[in-house]
Amino acid sequence: MKALGRLLAVSAISAVAAPALAQTEVIWWDFLSGGDGVRMKALIEDFNAQHPDIQISGTTLEWGVPFYTKVRTSAAVGEGPDVMTYHLSRVPLGLEEGVLSPITDEDLQNAELTTDDFFASSIEAATSDGELYAVPFDIHALILYYNKALLEGSAWLDADGNLTGIDSLEDFEAALAWLKDNGVETPLTFQTGGAGGVWRVFYTLLSQQGGEFIVDGEVLPGDNAEKAANAIDTMARWQQNGWIPEQAEYEASVALYGSGEAAFQLNGVWEVPTFNDMEEKGTLGFGWGAVEIPPLMGQAASWADSHAFAIPNEGDDTVSGEKRAAVMTVIGWMEQNALRWADAGHIPAYKPVADSAEYAAMEPNATYASLADNTAFDPPSTITGVASPTYDTALNIISPAIHGYFSGAEAVEQIKAELQAMMQ
Amino acid sequence: MAMLENRRKKNLVALSMVAPFVIVFAVFFLYPTLKMFELSFTNAPLIGDGEWVGLDNYRRLLGDRIFKTSLWNNAYFVLLTVVPTTVIALGIALMINRLSGRLQALVMVLFFLPYVLPVSVVTQIWAWMLDFQFGVLQPVIAVFVGKPVAVFKNPDWVMPMIAAVTIWWTNGFNVLLFIAGLRNIPSELYEAAALDGATKRQQFRRVTWPLLWPVTALVLTLQLILQLKIFDQVYLLSGGGPFNSSFVLLMQVYREAFQLNHGGYSSAVATVLFVLIAVVSVLQFQLLRIGGRR
Repeated sequence: MKALGRLLAVSAISAVAAPALAQTEVIWWDFLSGGDGVRMKALIEDFNAQHPDIQISGTTLEWGVPFYTKVRTSAAVGEGPDVMTYHLSRVPLGLEEGVLSPITDEDLQNAELTTDDFFASSIEAATSDGELYAVPFDIHALILYYNKALLEGSAWLDADGNLTGIDSLEDFEAALAWLKDNGVETPLTFQTGGAGGVWRVFYTLLSQQGGEFIVDGEVLPGDNAEKAANAIDTMARWQQNGWIPEQAEYEASVALYGSGEAAFQLNGVWEVPTFNDMEEKGTLGFGWGAVEIPPLMGQAASWADSHAFAIPNEGDDTVSGEKRAAVMTVIGWMEQNALRWADAGHIPAYKPVADSAEYAAMEPNATYASLADNTAFDPPSTITGVASPTYDTALNIISPAIHGYFSGAEAVEQIKAELQAMMQ
Repeated sequence: MAMLENRRKKNLVALSMVAPFVIVFAVFFLYPTLKMFELSFTNAPLIGDGEWVGLDNYRRLLGDRIFKTSLWNNAYFVLLTVVPTTVIALGIALMINRLSGRLQALVMVLFFLPYVLPVSVVTQIWAWMLDFQFGVLQPVIAVFVGKPVAVFKNPDWVMPMIAAVTIWWTNGFNVLLFIAGLRNIPSELYEAAALDGATKRQQFRRVTWPLLWPVTALVLTLQLILQLKIFDQVYLLSGGGPFNSSFVLLMQVYREAFQLNHGGYSSAVATVLFVLIAVVSVLQFQLLRIGGRR
């Protein structure tokens, strides 16, 4: 009996040990669900199949505050992952928390990457005090979706059925008014009753005026306040004229476009696969396209954020040695294969892929990819970014202002009072 | 000598019996609570230690607009829930008490069912029923005010609506307490009162109400503590908006700790809430006891 027990124990150990000798296991955490999640899991599976010596063991956690809280607590006690996805807009808070391990030149070499391979804006958002803290994977931005069927017969479709002639706010509002007059109940849809949708549109309109949300630790100083008020008043006017839906939650706002009730949609690139899939299955019922948001308020700018890869600190230590090299191999491979991530709508941050012929053939992705040069990333601050108090403000103050509870100027006063108090 | 030994043995047995509770209480409640007090005097982040800053956090609280708003909203919510839920529960309990047998059990189950549901399910149900575009209750609202209302986005509606959802959710437990209290009142008292010619109303005022008072005081106090701790429903239904009209103290604790990495300041808010609940509930219970004795 004893001998049998020993035999079992030995075989159990060898079963565990044998692959471990040859393999490095990389613990991977991400927050990607839905279409993003499916695509990322496929990428991970392929990586594992191609790399017998490195195995990624992936876990998907809840997006937003829950993800970042878990990263924070686990990193503090050294129980974090080896590599994780991270929003570049969240990097400033990550630095304050001491969660992020700097990516060195040696690391980049191990991944066969250089910072010049990436769009400059994304590298800038990932850099602090000359050190790189994350490797950008994509740029995802707000874009303008349009419904070709509803716009037919108007001046805003060219001979090929593509959107044309919208170069200013007047053009855009003329189009919205024309649609309303022609029986379109909701000419433009976006998430008017939620934090994310409101913030992205607001920040785009602010940036298109050259406005900045935070300058030297001050929220909306100087004439930025007027520009912010102008952005809010513009959205409120759309609401008053019945051009945008009242208090629409995210799903409802997408459904309005997908069901052909809304002619335009302001939403992130991540919904592109939704409509591609519907078109393929023949359930969409209208021709569609998506473009970079026209320079409505003067200059070209689109709200953008970026999914990136980061390596967490583990207590006072960090991932090092062979494991770290393996992590960088993973990151390098993901960047090389970013084309399949682009399928989820995102623009590859890695330029060799973004400039490739294969990417140029993807539609409407290649059309709106022009925005990569005009991205407006959230200001680098600990109170902005994904699931931040600034997002809360969009729901709490800007959304009510859009719905007529108070003017743009009053809303800006409240935003300043609320956020400035948190800046310490 | 033998007696002394016996007593020592008894003490040991007693100690070993309370030890599990005392240890669990000390490790999982007392220690964290003391740590929270300590943290509130530092500028610590969410994890790790900070520097001692004395009363700075509390001084900052005095000038914090959001803190004042939250405090007021907590009070408003208590006003909206504590007494109404007690009155409703008492009414339901009195009615159930008149039923008997299987029917009584069935009705009790019906009222208790919502209490079994997790808060996320409760809020999801109500969020759908009250959805601005598709909610089944919107036509009902339209009958009363003439148009559909996005209730969780409207400053006048948001708190009363969250209060209504909360009462619907937690009322079953209070009904149960009242029914237990009603069953404890001996039926001879009612018989004697009836013989003396007391009407139903007099029976309620002179027999039921005073004898039920200890339970009523308990329900009121439990509700007060529970409703001061409001967080889940607000977080899930309105996120504290619109323009902070439903922002409560625990929302601020959450935001400061998890979104802003301010462990110290967040602990200060939590400490204030802790003291507030302790003081108010003790005060209320004593007042109710005095009121009951008269």
